[in-house]
Amino acid sequence: MTTSVVSSQPADRAHERSWWQRLPKGGVLFSILWLGILVFLVVFADYLSFIRDPDAKVRVAGRLQSNYKLGPGYSAWFGVDGNSQDVFARCIYYARNSLQIGLASTVLGLLIGGTLGVLAGYFRGWIDRIISILIDCLLAIPALVLAVMLIFRLDDIKATWTFLGWMTRKWQIIMTLSILAVAPLARIVRAQTLSLREREFVTAARSLGAKNGRIITKEIVPNLVPTMVTVAFTGLGILIAAEGALAFLGLGLTESWGFQIESNRRRLEKAWWATVFPCLMLLGTVMAFNLLGDRLAKRFDIREAAV
Amino acid sequence: MRYFLQRFAQLLIVFGLVSFGVLLVMRIGSNSPEELAIKLYGGRPLSPDELTEAISRYHLDTNYFVQYFYWLKGLVIDFDLGQSVANSRAVADLLKPRVWTTVLLGLYANVFGMLIAIPVAVRQAYKRDGRFDKAAGLMTFVGVGVPAIVLGVLLQLLFTVKLGWFPLIGDKIYPWDDLGQHVRNFFLPTLTLTIPVAAIFARLLRAEMVLTLQSDFITLASAKGVSPARVLWRHALRNSLFSIVTAVGTNLGALLGSAVVVETLFDLDGLGSQLVVSVLSSDLFTVQSFVAIIVLLVVSVNLLVDLAYALIDPRIRQMRSLG
Amino acid sequence: MSIVIQASTRATDGPLLELSDVRTHFQTPRGVVRAVDGVSLTLDRGRALGIVGESGSGKTILSRSIMGLLPPRGTIRHGSIKFEGREISGLSRRAMRELWGREMAMIFQDPMTSLNPLMKIGAQIAEPLRLHLDMSKADAWVTAERLMRDVRIPAPGRRLHQYPHEMSGGMRQRIMIAIAIACGPTLLFADEPTTALDVTVQAQILDLLGEQRRERNMSLILVTHDLGVVAGHTDEIAVMYGGKLVEMAPTRQLFANMKMPYTEALLHSIPKLADPSHTRLNVISGRPPDLVNPPVGCRFAARCPYAQTRCREQEPPLIASVEDPRHTYACWYPVGSPEYHEAKERRRREAELAA
Repeated sequence: MTTSVVSSQPADRAHERSWWQRLPKGGVLFSILWLGILVFLVVFADYLSFIRDPDAKVRVAGRLQSNYKLGPGYSAWFGVDGNSQDVFARCIYYARNSLQIGLASTVLGLLIGGTLGVLAGYFRGWIDRIISILIDCLLAIPALVLAVMLIFRLDDIKATWTFLGWMTRKWQIIMTLSILAVAPLARIVRAQTLSLREREFVTAARSLGAKNGRIITKEIVPNLVPTMVTVAFTGLGILIAAEGALAFLGLGLTESWGFQIESNRRRLEKAWWATVFPCLMLLGTVMAFNLLGDRLAKRFDIREAAV
Repeated sequence: MRYFLQRFAQLLIVFGLVSFGVLLVMRIGSNSPEELAIKLYGGRPLSPDELTEAISRYHLDTNYFVQYFYWLKGLVIDFDLGQSVANSRAVADLLKPRVWTTVLLGLYANVFGMLIAIPVAVRQAYKRDGRFDKAAGLMTFVGVGVPAIVLGVLLQLLFTVKLGWFPLIGDKIYPWDDLGQHVRNFFLPTLTLTIPVAAIFARLLRAEMVLTLQSDFITLASAKGVSPARVLWRHALRNSLFSIVTAVGTNLGALLGSAVVVETLFDLDGLGSQLVVSVLSSDLFTVQSFVAIIVLLVVSVNLLVDLAYALIDPRIRQMRSLG
Repeated sequence: MSIVIQASTRATDGPLLELSDVRTHFQTPRGVVRAVDGVSLTLDRGRALGIVGESGSGKTILSRSIMGLLPPRGTIRHGSIKFEGREISGLSRRAMRELWGREMAMIFQDPMTSLNPLMKIGAQIAEPLRLHLDMSKADAWVTAERLMRDVRIPAPGRRLHQYPHEMSGGMRQRIMIAIAIACGPTLLFADEPTTALDVTVQAQILDLLGEQRRERNMSLILVTHDLGVVAGHTDEIAVMYGGKLVEMAPTRQLFANMKMPYTEALLHSIPKLADPSHTRLNVISGRPPDLVNPPVGCRFAARCPYAQTRCREQEPPLIASVEDPRHTYACWYPVGSPEYHEAKERRRREAELAA
């Protein structure tokens, strides 16, 4: 019997909706608003009068608000921290680092992981075996442990191998985080490529005499894009969280939400705002990317989108 | 049996390659054995005698394969993991008292994660798209994504600062020392680690249960007149359980990563927090050994996961006995 | 030997099953699917009824509606279903559960997916016994072994402790039969019980079903797309098309004197052994009707080789045949009647004109 039994839903009345009903709902709306506002504030932070210089000391009526004197309120929206600096301004300025690092490492991870995955899935044989072992090995080390180890060693290796001297701390973190993204990405892309290469259009192209390079760039990669984009969004969230964790452990940048949390958390009792607001910034940003990834996964019907 | 042996060999190879890779990462970037020795000893200048002793003890004048062989021999035969420079103690002595913190945290998170996830996911799948399903779906979505630092800080704020139920700084006290104190000190770290684990388990199990509940043998079980509760728990759950078992293995990396953060945040002395301390004090031997031990943990758990598969599914069990 | 439970409250006369105007509709995003659209029939005790139709004709949904096995969500049910004189169409799932296994049981199409892969065969047969008959575990397993012998499974003592994946499809279908008959139901549904099986095994399974039915005095509803399957194994046949009953008659009567062009087409689509080896199979061209927006007149009109204007405008009612009141059909131009020959001739001329 082919009659499908679907849960009772009213018939789709998309054409009857007015414009405000057609706005994205719930999670996606939150993501777009959150990221839109955040990016706007980050880009124009220098020109917006309500965002202080993150290193400037807050004074009220000429008096320094040191040692968490000022809580959240009109003069400083998120209060001040131990050095009487504006928590809100720091949260916005540090978002720059989080977003830059997250974006750069995701792109880098996509390039490396995607290439490995396509090679393994397309050529199979010994290439696949080597890449698969590499993936297994990378997955055997907990991501954060791997990151901690690599960042630590990059400092020293950089000192010996001077050709790596261009690598600032920020680049070190980007490189490290992109390596974290490689293994899961390569695995997903490999699985997709394996199934794509057996599809009719690839077989057809091959039977017409197309070369491997052409098949990969013209037939395989375009079909991988939905998956890659989906995974990129979820991955962005995870990598931004990882950046926060590294900074929290004292191995990342000091201009970071994670380090803000670390440096104020022992005063949670006295000044919750200095810790909680960076936490909420991190949470909101990670969630916004996760929600977008989840929506896209549903849209493209991708199951294994979690990094 | 062959299936199991194959997996065992595979995991052994992974461990070998990874531990060699870790040694390589730890030791490349030195121009001479002397320089390497100084680095291994935390960067302080060594006297000529100390230098020759260090080089001969760890075979630093040989290639990395030989060095790896001696390191592995030390690990397997004498459990000699080298000297922790920062603490001037044997790494093994540093390791032993801390392993249990991390192992217990991981164990608690997985066990409590399952205890929470299973009833939630079963209820969700039973009344799919109902109010409970939607509410739990939202909560598990947040639970999967919430970073460990954020969750830990917020829980600390609520339970320690506002409610005062738990100590702000807790020593690692093991259940065999003082159970009550252990519970007080481990409660919040465990909760921080359990919430994401439970959320992941619940999401995977719900999805699997929904699929299982649509299969023919479930309809047949109902048609036999079996009660819905029995259909759900006896027939559907057992056939969906492997999704959680798989997740224990695949999620372990993320869990141990979070454990590093959580141990640091709650001042629980464990593998993770010690790893960070050692990294910050450039203690190469300790870092190398700790990473190796963590990888060994991951590999062992994956082996247990394979065993659990066989326990659940007779088809896998028989694949073994056939081989 | 098997255990047959006879509840004292059971009415022993009158028909076993009476359906009147049963409608089962599903709400889907596309609209309301009228999967079963007004079916009335009766089934006497101990009789075997075949329900025949293409996939999408509503035959499976009808049998599941009777049993009450449809998902409650999105399902709209109308009409009356009387089982042993008792109205069961409005019963809750909980109340239906009392009937399942004990009064009615079902054999599914695909034996490969219908057994729980993680449970021993013995436990799966014993489950309804322990549940409905309050047997101890040991008793239930002993009975299970006897049931397995009844359905001709070799070495039942050993097979009890095996898992489904260790058995062939035919063997699993026997297990399904054993499970279905375990508690001695009065009505057995078999939903395409042989479709997923090898041809050689099909006949064995059908024979086994018939044998068990006679031995246990069960009624059988055999659902299939294959007229050949029901021919030798049922007393009556109901033909369904587009969610409606289009013809129903005692088996012999139907084959001797079918009225519906659809039944005729179904019969012709069975390849005959006597045909030369490369004879083209007769397929019914076209597709089954859209059950969201069913056509106005006869639902088969669009595919009927004899359809006239009337067929596309007026829906033919189900009427009794003049020769045999047990034979009902819904057609304006029944096969073999003078109107039918006229219609056939008219269509032939039209085709010639068009050519």
